[in-house]
Formats: sequence, structure tokens, C-alpha cells
Amino acid sequence: MLKIKNIDSYYGESRIISSLSLDVDKGKIVCLIGRNGVGKSTTLKSIMGLVRTPKGSILLDGEEIIKTPTYNRVRKGIGYVPQGRDIFPQMTVYENLMLGLQAKGSKKEMPEYIYKLFPILKKFEKRKGGDLSGGQQQQLAIARALVTEPKILILDEPTEGIQPSVIQDIGNVIRKINSELGLTVLIVEQYLDFVLGISDYLYLMEKGEIIIQGNTAELDAKEVQDKMTH
Amino acid sequence: MEQFVNTFFNCVSLSSIILLTSLGLAITFGLMKVINMAHGEFLMIGAYMTYVVQNIFERFFPTAIFSLYYFFALIAAFVVTFFLGAVLERTIISRLYGREIDSLLATWGISLILQQAARSIFGMQGVNVRAPSFLNGGITIGGCTFSYNRMFILGLVIVCLIAVWYIMYRSTFGKQMRAVMQNRAMAQCMGINSKKVDMITFSFGSGLAGLAGCSVALLGSIDSTIGQSYIVNSFISVVLGGVGKLTGTVLGSSIIGFGSIGFENYTSASIAKAAVLLIVIIVLQFRPQGLFSVKSRKLDE
Repeated sequence: MLKIKNIDSYYGESRIISSLSLDVDKGKIVCLIGRNGVGKSTTLKSIMGLVRTPKGSILLDGEEIIKTPTYNRVRKGIGYVPQGRDIFPQMTVYENLMLGLQAKGSKKEMPEYIYKLFPILKKFEKRKGGDLSGGQQQQLAIARALVTEPKILILDEPTEGIQPSVIQDIGNVIRKINSELGLTVLIVEQYLDFVLGISDYLYLMEKGEIIIQGNTAELDAKEVQDKMTH
Repeated sequence: MEQFVNTFFNCVSLSSIILLTSLGLAITFGLMKVINMAHGEFLMIGAYMTYVVQNIFERFFPTAIFSLYYFFALIAAFVVTFFLGAVLERTIISRLYGREIDSLLATWGISLILQQAARSIFGMQGVNVRAPSFLNGGITIGGCTFSYNRMFILGLVIVCLIAVWYIMYRSTFGKQMRAVMQNRAMAQCMGINSKKVDMITFSFGSGLAGLAGCSVALLGSIDSTIGQSYIVNSFISVVLGGVGKLTGTVLGSSIIGFGSIGFENYTSASIAKAAVLLIVIIVLQFRPQGLFSVKSRKLDE
């Protein structure tokens, strides 16, 4: 589904990632973990085209997108839930959702399943996005990415700053999206228990490179834990 | 009573003129945060376009339809400044987003170039347009005279205000525009072509300046510094009202309009100017964000 080959990523003049490769197979939930500042978010931003990636290749369903502008990558089927959610605070919940729908040029109605997955959004439809709590904003951010009808959903630290019970809900929603809607999912996380519970495949990143990878079920949780804490 | 009505009408009229010149700025400065020093020159271009269209009508069309020139002038002023705005955004402004000081200097340079260009083309002397016949005179009710051209400008302002409000808050494009201005990267991640939105938004603001120019052409002679004389009040009213809010700009222009004429009635023109600026300073002392500021819950909690 998504194939990253030997990319370099830059913030301004400083190189954050060098020669990183990563595969996300169709229908899988893949997690990318690592400590702060190792380049996880930058990897996702590279996929979205938000940072400079002069070298390498990013293939979406076999199609090269490394030179494609961000908005076209979204239209080609990448849904993005950024770190900190980045809800448009001055817009209502409904307007936030409509943005994703209208950007694709469709005049369609809001898909029913969105409100089924997130009943709270129906209830708060007319509230300003900025007035929602952290957990509600996270749900809105995921819903907003879903209305763009992505093939692959990319989430940057979806559990950050969210209370444990809501984290469980979000985990369930991600599983549902994966199994019922058939979406491929790529998650960047720091919260190891959450990752071990949800992912099929795992990448561990350090200093801009992948150091461990494998099927979650086969990996040594202890070793991963050690690498995360040292 | 008569004097009061007259004064009140003058206040409303001046406010509407300031508002018209501020609307475009409310978009490029208020919404996009671009300090465009050349905004006044777009107003100047709009005014000169009126003059040009008038001359074309005078030379090539029968006198019977001469008065219609003004409607074509309105369209021409908007279209030309819209297009110039697009060129300016694409070539210069778009490279300077987030660098306020740089864009301020660059657009100041543009402003000087445009002024000199106007002097080279139209000469140092101011030119005048003949108001279309249906805007000559006015109606007198109980000793108070309401001139047609000022009422026309008032109407034009109301139309523009409704159009801007509708585009900003009700249309799909407005939604995308607000999304891009609030968070450019995230808007792109929703599939919005932010470059296109930036360009159209800036052009729209510039086009409104052109329209304003077309209407102030009715009020006095046009020369290369006409933009400068209006732009200061416009900037003040946008800042006073609160950057990024349409209601704020309306209120800001009204305060300046009513303040100027009100004080002028009891004192002199220069004292009125000082008094208005004093009010602005005092307001900004207590409300640095302007009268209307945008509040919301912090996003990262």
C-alpha cells in the first residue's frame, strides 16, 4: 500500500531523517515507535509532503508521490491525523468535517458511518471545534480525516494527553476502521501498551533510523521496552 | 434638528467611505496577516480605471449612454485590481508569508513604483471624473440635503459588505479560506490547495480596494497620492475593530467616521484628527487585540 524507500527529510537546513525505508502492507495496522525527537513525526510529515524530502521515493499503491503537493496526496487517498489534532478552532464541528468532504469536490452528504463511529460529534455538531475537550477533538480529527475517504489513515500520537478510558475508545475505533472499513492504518506512538495491543507490525526508530522491525506478535516486548526507555 | 440630521448623514457617509476602503484590507491584513503597503495604490488604480473608462466612453460612445460608463468602471476597477493582486501575490507576497517585516518593505517598494507609474502615465496634475448624471444633485427633505453620490456609495458599501460576509462565512470557498488562514499546513492535509486559496483571497481583497477607488473617484480629484490619504484610516479601523473580524471593521470605521465629523463640528479639523487618534490609542491600551477579538479554548491541553 505505502512504500517508503531511502528518503531524506529536512527541517530547513537540518537533516532529521536519512535514508529511511518503511513498508505498510494493505489492510494492516502498522505502528512506528520510538522516543522523543527520533524523527517519527517527521516521517509522517514526509509522507504528507509537509517537510522537504529531496531524496528517495514514496509509493502509494505503486504510484510515486514524493513530488506531489500535499493536497493532492490527500485526494489520492492519504488521511492524516496530526499530533495535537490541529482542529480548526474557530469553525464548528460540522464545518470541520465538511472541509474534508468539499475539498474532494464532492457535493455528497456526510457519510452515516461517521456519526455511528463518533456519536458525540452529532451531538456537538454546532459547537466550535476549539471548545471541545482533548478527547473529543481527537475523535473529530479522526472523523475529519475519514471523510476524505482515504485508503490509508495516518495518525500521529493519537493517545497523547487523553485519559485512559478514552484511549481505549480510540483504540476500538481504529480497530473498527481497520476491520470494517478495510482501511490500512499507520500510527506513530510512544505509549507502548497501546501499540502492542493494536498493531500487526511494528517499527522501532532511533536517531532517524529503523533499528527493530517485525510482526508484533513475534517481537520480544521486553527488548522493545528496553530500547524505548534507554 | 436639521443640522443634527445633516451631521449624522455626513458621519454615516464618511464611515461608509472608510469602511469601503477598509474591507479589502480586512481581508488581506485582517485575515491573511499580510501588511500590504501597496493596498492604497490598488485603490489609486481603481480610481484611475474609472478615469480611463470614462475617457473611453467619452471618445467612442454616444453621449446618450455616457452615464452608464460608471457601471463598467466599477467592473473594470475590480477586475484589473483583482488581476494585479493575483500577480503581486504570486510573484512577491507568496514568498514572504510569515515574514511581516520583509513583506512590509517589499510592498512599500511596490507602492512607490505604482505611484511613480501613475505619475508617468497620467501626469503630476490630478484628474477629475465627471459623475454620471444620475448621481448629480440630491434630495432635500425638510431642509436636509442628501447627495446622490454619497447615498450611492453607502449602498455600494452595503452590497460589498453582504457579499464579503457571504463569501467568508457561508460559501464553500470561504470555509476553505478561513481554514487556510487558521492553519495552512492542516488545510493542505484536508486536501485544500492552499496556494490557490491564498492567491484568490489576496486578489479578492485587492479587487475590493479597486472598487473603493472607483467610488472615491466621485468625491474629488484623482492623483498618485490618493491611496495614501485613505489607507491610514483604513489600517486604523481594521486594527481598532480587531484583526480578522468583519463586525470589528464595521465598528472601527464607524468610530473613526463619527469621531472625525463629530469633533470637527465642535472644534477644528486638526483637533478632530488628534482626538480620534487619542480615542484609538486609549482603546488599544485597554484592548490591544481590538474591540472584537477571537477567543477559544486552548487546543493543546
